[in-house]
Amino acid sequence: MYAPGNIDSEALRIAKNCRHYAMCKIDFLGSGICASGLEKQYVSYFPQGRMDLYAAICEKAIPVTEQCVEIADSCNLCGKCDYQCYFVTEMRPSIVMKALKDYVDDYLANGGDIVPVPEDPILAEMRRIVGHFWATSDPAIGIAYHHDLCPHVEFKMPQYVVMPNSKEELASIIRLLNHHEIPYVVRGNGASAHGLVFSEGVVLDLHRMNTIEFDEKNWLVKAGPGVAAFDLQSAAARRGFRVHTAEPAALVCANIMTSGLLSTFSTTYGISADNFIDAEFIARDGSLFSLNDMKSPNLFSYQNLIAENEAFAICVSVSMKLHPVTSDERGILVPFKSLADALDFARECSIRHIGLAIGILGEEFISSFIAPTKRLAAEARDIFTRRLGMPYLVLLIGDTYALRSVNEMGYPVIDQGLFKTLYQGLPSLGSAKWLDLLDELADDEPFSYLKLGQFGDLAEMALAPSPAQMASDIDPDLRPFFEKLFQRPEMTDLVWLNTFRIQSARYNREKPTVGLVFYLPIDTALIIEIEQGLLDIAAKHHLKGAFGFITPFDNGKRCVWEYDYYFDHNDPDDMAKIQQAAHEAGALLDEYSAQTGTVRQVRYVVNRGCCRKENLLYT
Amino acid sequence: MEGESGRSIILTGATGFLGAFLMSGLLERGYHVTVLGRPAKNMRLSDRISGLVGWFGLDPGPRLSAIEVDFSKKHLGLDDETYGDLCANAGKVIHCASDTSFAERNRKQVMQANVDSLPSLLDLAVDSRAEHLYYVSSAYACGQCTGLCMETPIKNQRFTNVYEESKAQAEEIIRRSCQDNDVPLSILRPSIVYGHSETGRSLKFNALYYAVRSMLLIRDIFLNDIRQGGGKSKKWGISLDDDGILNLPMKICLPNKGSVNLIPIDYFVATVLRIIEHPGTSGIYHITSDNPPDITTLAEYAQRFLGLRGIDVLWNQSGKNANPNPAEELFDKLFEQYRPYLSDERIFDQSRTRSIAPGISAPPFTYEIFAQCMTYAVACDWGWPLDHSV
Repeated sequence: MYAPGNIDSEALRIAKNCRHYAMCKIDFLGSGICASGLEKQYVSYFPQGRMDLYAAICEKAIPVTEQCVEIADSCNLCGKCDYQCYFVTEMRPSIVMKALKDYVDDYLANGGDIVPVPEDPILAEMRRIVGHFWATSDPAIGIAYHHDLCPHVEFKMPQYVVMPNSKEELASIIRLLNHHEIPYVVRGNGASAHGLVFSEGVVLDLHRMNTIEFDEKNWLVKAGPGVAAFDLQSAAARRGFRVHTAEPAALVCANIMTSGLLSTFSTTYGISADNFIDAEFIARDGSLFSLNDMKSPNLFSYQNLIAENEAFAICVSVSMKLHPVTSDERGILVPFKSLADALDFARECSIRHIGLAIGILGEEFISSFIAPTKRLAAEARDIFTRRLGMPYLVLLIGDTYALRSVNEMGYPVIDQGLFKTLYQGLPSLGSAKWLDLLDELADDEPFSYLKLGQFGDLAEMALAPSPAQMASDIDPDLRPFFEKLFQRPEMTDLVWLNTFRIQSARYNREKPTVGLVFYLPIDTALIIEIEQGLLDIAAKHHLKGAFGFITPFDNGKRCVWEYDYYFDHNDPDDMAKIQQAAHEAGALLDEYSAQTGTVRQVRYVVNRGCCRKENLLYT
Repeated sequence: MEGESGRSIILTGATGFLGAFLMSGLLERGYHVTVLGRPAKNMRLSDRISGLVGWFGLDPGPRLSAIEVDFSKKHLGLDDETYGDLCANAGKVIHCASDTSFAERNRKQVMQANVDSLPSLLDLAVDSRAEHLYYVSSAYACGQCTGLCMETPIKNQRFTNVYEESKAQAEEIIRRSCQDNDVPLSILRPSIVYGHSETGRSLKFNALYYAVRSMLLIRDIFLNDIRQGGGKSKKWGISLDDDGILNLPMKICLPNKGSVNLIPIDYFVATVLRIIEHPGTSGIYHITSDNPPDITTLAEYAQRFLGLRGIDVLWNQSGKNANPNPAEELFDKLFEQYRPYLSDERIFDQSRTRSIAPGISAPPFTYEIFAQCMTYAVACDWGWPLDHSV
């Protein structure tokens, strides 16, 4: 094999730090998507895949193949990936894109051979079903489906990657694979929290099955398995609706099936079976059935056990509920000095049906969401926790009546206007000495200064917020783009930001995480005890553990909590630690589950995402 | 611990503002001082005290020692031997430790520090047969009242805040204990203490300093706005005049005229030393000013120091500004807890103090003293001076 003389170490570092969020597959900034990815659809044609490909050829894990050359060639170095990736991770993938092109050019110029990938009979058969381009055994394609950041599974290189375009094509492929006894998995977008997406056989990428059909009179939208949350939400918003979605790049069908779909909007829209009206599946024998069939299996049931790794069927469409949106929806942040106080407030709101979406955000989420760079995130963490004494903020989205209720409850709040000021004035916050005075002199009611009628004006005068200031910490060459981006009203609109969640992946900007997600009662003593247990495990393994968020739902009877362990996926020691820590944390939560009968881990929901929340939580 | 009779002093609160200056004064006068206190964060008491001694430029050698204690525990949490040694060489005891928070939300912490911790301190006074116990209270322990406040035990039950209340309770507990156990007692009641009248040096920047700091920060907010175009400032008639002075129309509304009783730390120390060194000094002493400035004077000083004009003090019955601009609203909020002290009608009798310390009085609070103190505070960024090269 050709030995390259000059590997770009910075490019390799960036490539190996790709977070696999698939944010480069959705147009979440309105900047457009990688043109070749849009056309060729395989992950390897997107920046995320090119990152994996570059790392793999540098490390000689795969040879230079025909598709490798095509992938490198097809990048026009437009730089859109820099905008997208920088927004989330502060990384510059265009450095990798350029390095990949240079590598391949250099390789070919130095007489390197393009290693042929022969077509075997099974591949030929699959190509007859889906079309020649949409089934491949080229490792340059397979490499992008070979691994992710899930630390506790063995990665596998698929022999084939297939992209069917319809449920009929998918059914035919499944029947073919069954006939040849070839294992397969379905791959959604981005990183897999549970690591169930690897196969030595076939990876089925359903990205092309991305139809969206609205049935407004029945308040539903039918989405194919390749539809990402952001795209579905955008389509719904254009028609004046909202759907309940989670991470923007997550494929909606996969998200429901693997986690039951939860977000801060779960307060109103619920979880699991609350989210949809119907769903269609292809069973392992290739037959089609839907949830509403009288003879279909009872997918609403739930057992508190780890599911088999293989899915019972593949979800090929889901009919999501459409929700009404009112023009007076606004977001507020309610600060708290303690988790106990934040829980009391969130519980109270949930019981009284105040607010559409509620989330208790810990310091990691607050700081990483609000800050466009890591440096500012660290500064924001210090400002909110130490200087302002706000380690917890409760996000509440609600209409006029809901926000009036919070006001009548007497809580000081950061309203939409003040949020915009703090957000766009973040770079000035660090040197704003008056903040210290506010906390020092806060009288008997914490944060009572927020109740000053003109506090918003004062903050605006003090911080001089602007899109330019917000972009001031960003790499100089990207600043003009971001300045323009930050001018857009939705970029400071708490409702939009929480509906589309484009900042949510930022909490992994510093390091990837293993998120421990579980349901439990809003029992302050229990929550504080579990938090200490999870923190002790993190400390034992010298990992960072942090409170993520808690959302109350089902009239305040339960909440969902994400607690995160941070690790470096490129550090073998950290990988060993995180595996052990995640195992111990899972065992701890199992103990609480057995002890209380009320704690449920989302990892048990995998392949049972259709279950009724009543079965999941109360049986 | 060694020390000649009458020259040994146990001091609490030496890491605080008043206590530290008192420690310095005692050491300069040749006393042997044993400091009792707690470690802080990651710093031992002895290190904290060493830092302070260095800041004062002192080299007391073996005349100063520090013992870490826990006032919530019997025998201060010390082992029998250490406690026995402490008692054997106690001499006089000055209890200066105090939590000065006014906030009701800190009630538990204030009561714990100022009242609940007293039994172990009083046990020490009894067990050591202390020559004399001096309790540093506050002139404002007298509670809400008007007119002349005498140097007598407190009978009032109405207080402006938890600090005043705790000091009144503490006085009563200490007085009874000393009476029951024949420990000679002096209660020292300073008013509001600011920095050194000659050097401006201070260790704490609350009270008067808060007001100036609040105004300075309000000034900076508007200056920042004016630098950005000043749209909002204009709306409120706030502008930067040609002479570089910020025109900041700001009404400070107070219910009635009164004064702010301020004394410099050097006057406090000099008076306390005089009381300590005067034979037969049991009693209550007001360490206050004869000629306290009113808020109008202080507002003028602040304007001059900060480069402001437009601040106006108004007297009305409610003491509230019905339609405040953002600057007024923020200042009122920032200074809320100190508001009752801005139009104080209490006058403090000083007969006993005068009789012991004739010729010593608080200097008039001139602009020069004010500016010197505030310049020092700014140099310290209103924080712990030992963290700054000042």
